[in-house]
Parts: sequence; C-alpha cells; structure tokens
Amino acid sequence: MNAVEIKNLSKNFGAKQAVCGLNMTVPMGAVYGFIGENGSGKSTTEKMICGLIPKSGGSIKLYGKDHTDADVRAKLGVLIESPGCFPGLTVWDNMMLQAANLSIPNAEKEVIHVLKTVRMEGAAGNRYKNCSLGMKQRVGIAMALLGDPVLLVLDEPLNGLDADGMRIMREVFADIVKDGTRSIIVSSHLLGELQKVATHYGIIRHGKMIVEMTADELDASCRTYVALQSEEMGRTKSLLSCRYSRVEADEAGYIRVYDLTTPEEIVSYLYGNGVCVTEIRTDRIGLEEYYIDLMNGGKREWKDR
Amino acid sequence: MERSVKFEPVCFAQRIKSMLTVDFKRMFRSRLFYIILAVALVMPILMTVMMTMMDGSVSVDPQTGAETVMVGPENTWQNIGTLPGGESMGGMDVFGMCNINMMFMGVCVFVGLFIADDFRSGYAKNLFTVRAKRSEYVISKTLAGFVCGALMLIFYFIGAVLGGAIAGLSFDLRGLTAGNLVMCILAKIFLMLVFVSIFTLISIAAKHKAWLSICGSLGGGMLLFMMVGMITPLGSTLINVVLCLVGGALFSIGLGAISKVILKKTSMV
Repeated sequence: MNAVEIKNLSKNFGAKQAVCGLNMTVPMGAVYGFIGENGSGKSTTEKMICGLIPKSGGSIKLYGKDHTDADVRAKLGVLIESPGCFPGLTVWDNMMLQAANLSIPNAEKEVIHVLKTVRMEGAAGNRYKNCSLGMKQRVGIAMALLGDPVLLVLDEPLNGLDADGMRIMREVFADIVKDGTRSIIVSSHLLGELQKVATHYGIIRHGKMIVEMTADELDASCRTYVALQSEEMGRTKSLLSCRYSRVEADEAGYIRVYDLTTPEEIVSYLYGNGVCVTEIRTDRIGLEEYYIDLMNGGKREWKDR
Repeated sequence: MERSVKFEPVCFAQRIKSMLTVDFKRMFRSRLFYIILAVALVMPILMTVMMTMMDGSVSVDPQTGAETVMVGPENTWQNIGTLPGGESMGGMDVFGMCNINMMFMGVCVFVGLFIADDFRSGYAKNLFTVRAKRSEYVISKTLAGFVCGALMLIFYFIGAVLGGAIAGLSFDLRGLTAGNLVMCILAKIFLMLVFVSIFTLISIAAKHKAWLSICGSLGGGMLLFMMVGMITPLGSTLINVVLCLVGGALFSIGLGAISKVILKKTSMV
C-alpha cells in the first residue's frame, strides 16, 4: 500500500489547466521531494491532496482510502503557503486551538513536545504577529506535527529557516519516517537541502509529472565528473575536447570532463601538452543540476555516463 | 510483510464537540464578542435616557417655521416591542424598529468577521485539511453565531430594563403578562437562528472578504427584518415560540446544506 496514489489528476481554473493528467505515487516511509518551477502545479496538487480545493478529475488515494475520508484526513499534517494562525493570539494559544481542533488528549503535553521539537518552547508566549519569518515557519511546522500525523504535506517548509532550523527539519523528517509507515511530501526550491532528506523525487512541469524516481535512481543518474582549472583555460579546453567527447566550461569557471577518466590521467595528458593544471577535483552532478538540465530539455544524457 | 496504518474512526459527536470547543474558545476570547455585547447592553440605556431627556423638546424648521415636538418613551417595554395601544419608541414608526430587533442585524457583524477571520488567517486551511466533513464547520459557526445573537438579545433586554429604571419609565405591561414577555424574548431568540443561518451562508460565500459578508448580510437580512416585529410581538404566545423554533430549524438545515455545498465546491485558500 502506498501513502499517496494519484491517478490522472486534473485541475482547471476557468480555461487555464493548472494540473493535467498527473500521476504520482508516494510510498510509505518516503520523504518525497516534490519539485517544479513556479506555477508548475505543485501547490495546486498539494492543496488537492489536502482537500483544500476541489479536483476537476482523477483520483487521489491516501493509504488506500479516498482523500475525502474523514478518518485519513484527521491524520494529515499540513503547512501550505503559511501557517494558519491568528495574528493576535500567542503561539501557545494558536497551538492549543489546533490541538483542540484535532481532539488531542493531553493537548498541553503534546503542544510542549512539538514546540520543543522545533526549538520554539521559549517563544510560546509571543504573539504570533510579533514572530519573525523563521519563527512563524517553525510554528507552522510544529502545528503540522500536532496529532502524530501519518502524512505530512509541506509546501516550502525550509523558507526563512536558518541553518539550525534546516538541521532541525532534517532530524524531524528522519524521525517521522523511521518507522516506515509515515510519509512526507515536501516541496522546496532549496534543492541542495532537499537532496539531503528526500528518499524519492517527483518533478512536475506544466501540471504534468515528468519524472518520478528514488534517491538511488537519481544517484545513479548523477555520475561523477572531473573539474579543473589551468593557467590557459582556452587552450586547455581545446586540448581536452580533442581527447574527450564531453567537455564543458561551467559557470564557476571550471572545465568539466564528463567522460570516464581520472584526474591523474587528465593532468598527465595536459602536462604532456605543456599545460599546467592549477586545480583539479572530482565531483558529482547534484539534484539542482539534474533538475536544471531536465528543465532545459535534458540535453545531457546523464544515464549514459 | 505488508506494512499498514490503522485509522481510528472519529465519531460525529466527538468531531462536532472539538469543533464547537474551538469556536467557543475563540468566541469567548475575542474582543469583538465583548464589544458587541457591551454595545447591546449600553445602546438601550443611552437611547432610553437620551430620548426621555429630549421628551417634549421642540425643533423648528427655519424655512417653513413648522414645529416638531420630540416624543420620548413612556414605557420601558417600548424598547422590546409595540405595546397594546400602539405606542412605540419615540412615537414614530421608524423608532418602532429601533428597538431590540436591531440585534438581528447587528449579529451579522459578528458572524461576518468571525468567519472572515478563519479564511484571512489561514486557519480555515488547517481546519479543512484535517476535517473532511464541511457540515461540522457550518453547524459550529451557526451555533456560535446563534449563541452570540441570543446573548445580544438578552443583554439588550437587560439594558432596556436598566435604561427604563434610570429614566424612571413605567414597567406596566398594559394587559400583557410577564409570560408574554418571556415568550416574546424566547421567540426572538429562536428567530435569531433564521438570521444567523442567512448570515453564515453569505459569510461562507464571501470567505475572507468581511466587507462583502457584512454588506451582503445587511442586504439579505433587511428582507426579513421588517417581519420580525410581526412574528415576535410583545404579546407573543407559545405559538410564536414554536413557529420561530420551527422556522429557525428549517432555515438552518436548508441554508446549512447550501453552505456545505459552497464549501465543498470552492477553494478554501
């Protein structure tokens, strides 16, 4: 059984089709990185999963049940766009309201626990409107964690978080999915951070899922390359292009060789041609580059390397 | 081995109880609620005392020279309805409506702002994510609005009595009994359900736009407002109470169903 199974999902806003024929599978125990450009349909899909907007077509199943099932929905934790808090109330009061809404027994204990989890226990007495952006985000995450949810849907939860906040989030995510039944859907533009936590990925474009893969599959797709700098970059590039088939200059001022080779072999070859290498290292293609390349039409054939 | 997750079924009673707990907690902590109750209490006192002070004062139209004599209230219960003999507050028909019946319109401010606040703050998002049943929201909001409306009527009644006492007005019921007065207030309280249902529907449709909700509610409520005096006269009997109760129940069920459909078919964000 999958945590989320979406088939042929569509959503129209008048004549505009925001989501069209989207298929998505989130296995149990997964941290599902949901990636896409602005306006690609990520938030719309997440809102449909949570029942916040009606779908135009298709089906959404959560843990084998329809997404409108009241029992499943009661076990959802959500942070979409902003935490739904009353600005004039304190963080504590807002949390207690949501705890009452979820009929949580021992609400005070649970609220203290989730506030401690996101390191906000010291700010519980602050009025929500006086909290900083990062604090508000933490409150939103704490609110989503209330009631021991089986599925967390988090839209841009890393926005506004400091380094410590990001680390806490990683710990929270790992803790949630460790029993293998609970799952998290997390959309973020901070792909480097997402890569540290995600076990599965879904990339959406123009309302359609273009790729779904596991972190291992992404890893296999993102092969290593050798990046180097020399005193004569122009000549180095032409020399390398004569010998290797995939040579590119990157934005950081390095020449990248994607062919199967070693730094020693490249240094030896260039030295033999009178070029002195000043810096050389091996690196891997990250999620960010993979994604950007995919968005640019997938000119590189990563899997071939 | 296939992993599975068990979902504890939550019964309707438990769900509605938690929803009502949240709404009543919010209502009793809201400044707006107490301001509205304070206005309901103070308004009849001020109106009665001021109009008694102005009783008999003459204003002259400078162009025509016509004189208008201000007629103040003679009886405390004129603040609740028209007494046998036809006297209403101020001796003018328009003041016949400027009595406790104003609370039927005043409650739309509370309902409109209360519901708009849910959508403005994003709280509705949290709510509807974990609550698939929209009917609970409608029931809870209608009940919260009804309680607020009922309290407004009671506070206005207390204010009217206090105002009458301060202004030294008569408490004579002129042939009516205290039972009629109780039935009148009870009928008004049940009739409040009709108005609150209308305001809840309009506010749910308007979502975060409080101004639209209040303007729409004032317009929609005005259609029924003229009939309040007829349906709940000062000489009300059990029939008036039952009629208002049945009407309130029918309106809240019917309009509640429409509100539920609106919530189901429209975006919550």
